[in-house]
Amino acid sequence: MSEKREVTLTIDGREVTAVEGEMLHDAARKGDVEIPVFCYEPKLGAPVGACRMCLVEIEGIPKLQTSCSTPVRDGMVVHTRTDQVKKAQNAVVEFLLVNHPLDCPVCDKGGECPLQDITTGWGPGKSRVIDEKRHFEKPIELSPLVAIDRERCILCYRCVRFSQEVSEDAQLQLLERGDRTYVGTFDERPYVSPFHGNITDLCPVGALTNYTYRFRARPWDIEQAGSVCTLCPSQCNVSFTVRDEKVKRVIVRDNPGVDDGWICDRGRYGFEMFDAAERVTEPRLKGGSKTDYETAIARAAAGLGARDGKVAAIVGDASNEEGFLIQEIVRGALHSPHLDSRPAAGPRIDTILGLEQPEVQAKVTDIDEADVIFVLGTDPMQSSPILDLRIRKAIRRNGARLVVATERPTALDGGAEAIARYAPGQAAHFVGELTKAVGGTENVATPLAESLRDAGKIVVVWGERLGAAAAAKLLHFADALGTKSAGTDVDGPKTQDSLEISAHQHVGLLEVPDTANARGLREAGVLPDAGPGLAALAINGHGTEAIREALIDGSLDGLILVGVDPLRDFADTARWEEALNAASFVVAFSTFATATAGKADVLFPLETHAEKDGTVTHPDGRLQRVRPAAGRPGDIRPGWQTLANLSLALGHDTGVTSQPTAFKALTDAVPFYASITDAAIGGRGIRWQETESASSFPALAASAPSSAPDAGAASADTQRDSASGEAAPVAGALALGTYRDLWAGPITELNPPLKFLKPSQRLEVSPEDAARLDLDSGDTVRVTQGAKSLEATVAIRERVPAGVCFLAEGVAGANANGLLNGHQVSVQIEKLSEVPA
Amino acid sequence: MSEQTFYRQAGSYLDSVDVVEVQRGPEPGGVGGAYRAFGETLRGLKTTMSRLIEGPLTIEYPEEKTPVYPRFRGRHKLHRFEDTGLEKCVGCSLCAAACPADCIRVVAAENIPGERVSSGERYAAVYEINLSRCIFCGYCEIACPFDAITMGHDYEMADYDRTNLIFTKEMLLAEPIERTPLKSEDE
Repeated sequence: MSEKREVTLTIDGREVTAVEGEMLHDAARKGDVEIPVFCYEPKLGAPVGACRMCLVEIEGIPKLQTSCSTPVRDGMVVHTRTDQVKKAQNAVVEFLLVNHPLDCPVCDKGGECPLQDITTGWGPGKSRVIDEKRHFEKPIELSPLVAIDRERCILCYRCVRFSQEVSEDAQLQLLERGDRTYVGTFDERPYVSPFHGNITDLCPVGALTNYTYRFRARPWDIEQAGSVCTLCPSQCNVSFTVRDEKVKRVIVRDNPGVDDGWICDRGRYGFEMFDAAERVTEPRLKGGSKTDYETAIARAAAGLGARDGKVAAIVGDASNEEGFLIQEIVRGALHSPHLDSRPAAGPRIDTILGLEQPEVQAKVTDIDEADVIFVLGTDPMQSSPILDLRIRKAIRRNGARLVVATERPTALDGGAEAIARYAPGQAAHFVGELTKAVGGTENVATPLAESLRDAGKIVVVWGERLGAAAAAKLLHFADALGTKSAGTDVDGPKTQDSLEISAHQHVGLLEVPDTANARGLREAGVLPDAGPGLAALAINGHGTEAIREALIDGSLDGLILVGVDPLRDFADTARWEEALNAASFVVAFSTFATATAGKADVLFPLETHAEKDGTVTHPDGRLQRVRPAAGRPGDIRPGWQTLANLSLALGHDTGVTSQPTAFKALTDAVPFYASITDAAIGGRGIRWQETESASSFPALAASAPSSAPDAGAASADTQRDSASGEAAPVAGALALGTYRDLWAGPITELNPPLKFLKPSQRLEVSPEDAARLDLDSGDTVRVTQGAKSLEATVAIRERVPAGVCFLAEGVAGANANGLLNGHQVSVQIEKLSEVPA
Repeated sequence: MSEQTFYRQAGSYLDSVDVVEVQRGPEPGGVGGAYRAFGETLRGLKTTMSRLIEGPLTIEYPEEKTPVYPRFRGRHKLHRFEDTGLEKCVGCSLCAAACPADCIRVVAAENIPGERVSSGERYAAVYEINLSRCIFCGYCEIACPFDAITMGHDYEMADYDRTNLIFTKEMLLAEPIERTPLKSEDE
């Protein structure tokens, strides 16, 4: 990309250097000249000049210009404080206030309201209007989470632009005209979007306010505490509004490198669960009796110590430090190699090393600059919502092309240039075919390969759900793509195995993992076949599914669960139930009293991301710090402290006595984190690939996966990768694919304001299958797999391929995980009742 | 002091300004001294004696109380609308923002139709003034956009227990026991 030219202009007598094409308002800010605005927001894309607040005088132009939509030119002379400008600013404020109710004392925005600030700063101070103001019914539910007060609206278009151009749901519109104009949805339907909470941050007046923050506090009652949301792998930067030690609101904390200044509704409204009745607020013993930490640690140490060498650990939601301490406990104190941080059998360490090489690693901002974005095996909307907005932005504003290959239709399909659907369980086969197609072979994946070939800069956004075998093949795919699009620019011999070539061709890989801190835990050593820093081990342990089987057959005895709920989130619920019952001693760390936590002999509470102090690693390698914002309810102690004490009680001194020492222990153990300090992480985080210690990342072994294409597949006995060739579905049976629903889980059960979003199980079928099975959308059906079954409501989706159906995982009462058995399964569908006419 | 004094340079001085002649009294002792000792004492006693006849002027507090001026800033009062009986306070927290002693705590809540507490959309669910911290500056009264809080005339709030000095909304809304007489117009 060519460097933009710098221009110099004069604003209020100050020389300001700006980049060509920049808007005058932004240039003025660089020169410390403040120009008031309501509608301008660079995050929303092109300016609209709707509010007229930013008028300035430019020499040579007779009329005042809007500084938000006037690009800078060299030698421009701008005045922002002349009488003419002041008159215009006074007039604009006076006009805006003609219909503004000035009910600031009851308005939630009072005290943090741009309209208040600008009126006092740039307004006339007096109103000459004596007429009746316009009246609307207020407040109205725009959605169950957002209240709209149309009297307060100044028609700046920000929320409408967000809906039209950022989340692209196109639901918000300005209806009517003139002074009757108001923001609304078609037919007064509720605004439904997983991102719609952002409009309350955007609104420069109190027209859009959160029901969850309604009248809860004033800006002078609260403290803002910056942290990171760890409810999904996006790890958006958030700021907690805290009053009386309790989180009252979550707002964005712009970090262009991570979240682009947006957060999803899950992160925004999912904070009331921090105080839910289901929260574990003190250590508990079997049966739910409460105890203190000393007793609990002594019990846990005695139980685990007695099973030395026969204990396994599964980690889900934990910080890097906690992950590091767990692997210290399991490997150091309990002499067991069995621990994992992945819900299903993941790729082997050589595959992980290949996919994480700094040269092939794409960062989030690479999506903005990509020519082609290839979404493979994941639906960002469900798994990492903020990436969905990032991809939409790249397509809309930067002209990127999108290619999608998934099992299930994704939210991004509408903007895709080419779409491929592969059958559930066929991901590895598909990636293999695609690699061949990119190489020139004609096959099913050829249309996709056409779009990917010679495409320039490609970012592959791939899901961990692809499975181990597909992940192993992904390396070859990236490699083939790099070589193919190399054209003639690469000098020297091209080797199929050299990853540097693909790096040169700008193929970047960005993973969408299943759990929030998957990458951090892997790098901290929570893997069966790698220690901290992804270092190779002498003895490899069992992965998640092998641990389950070992517990059942008795070769393992004790289990440590940290922030995981296998009975809800892992495939094959029945088998997990059996494993948890078979384990003679279970120590669980859990935020909430889940079914899994109930099986624990010793249960420790976990902190939420508003209380925790620790680091997490973004899927693109950015280390970010989660900082404590709110008070810990009850008798909850920091996770690192409990783990360090447990390790000590087991006779293994980790040397960890505080969060800084825990972080130090982590950076000492992980070579490529070595030069990262707390100060370097700061508020924005730092990608370890961009530090000097990146060169310590373990190099690919001589036996790189490239030389053994199916290396990763060897251990893959997961449902997704079983290429065992399930026979063609018997009459009436459909191949079952599952997906993680954004709203399935404790988030909608423990947050009262989000309860209305709690999903019920839907069976997604194609129109062909629906016709064959005589199903209609809304019918209730029983979905049976072997002896297991669940009830679901039929939803006919045009873009679901024939022969396949989809169910959501984690849905309370009808969890699709219960039907899975570790292999690709097909299900029988039986109609129970028709949709009422 | 002349303007000159202010503007002159350091180190220099002017005789006319800086030199002050000291007026000294007569030397003690002698007849003059004796007269001054007794005579002046008697002169002072004359005033005492004449006042003695007037009778005592002591105000027997707490049996008797000094009337206060109408704008005296005493214990706060919260008000209701006389016609509807609704609280004037909407829980906007501006008083808490204005309070230099940080002694006001407001937690607002939303009015439920049918159980309306205030006239606006919101009302103060909790309104507390910690009177042991209050400095009676009256800023809360000035900040209030609805004249919901005013300073009353009561200054008798002493208590044996600090916790009793946290006045809740109910206490502030209740009609205070008027223990303090008000000065009449011409007083």
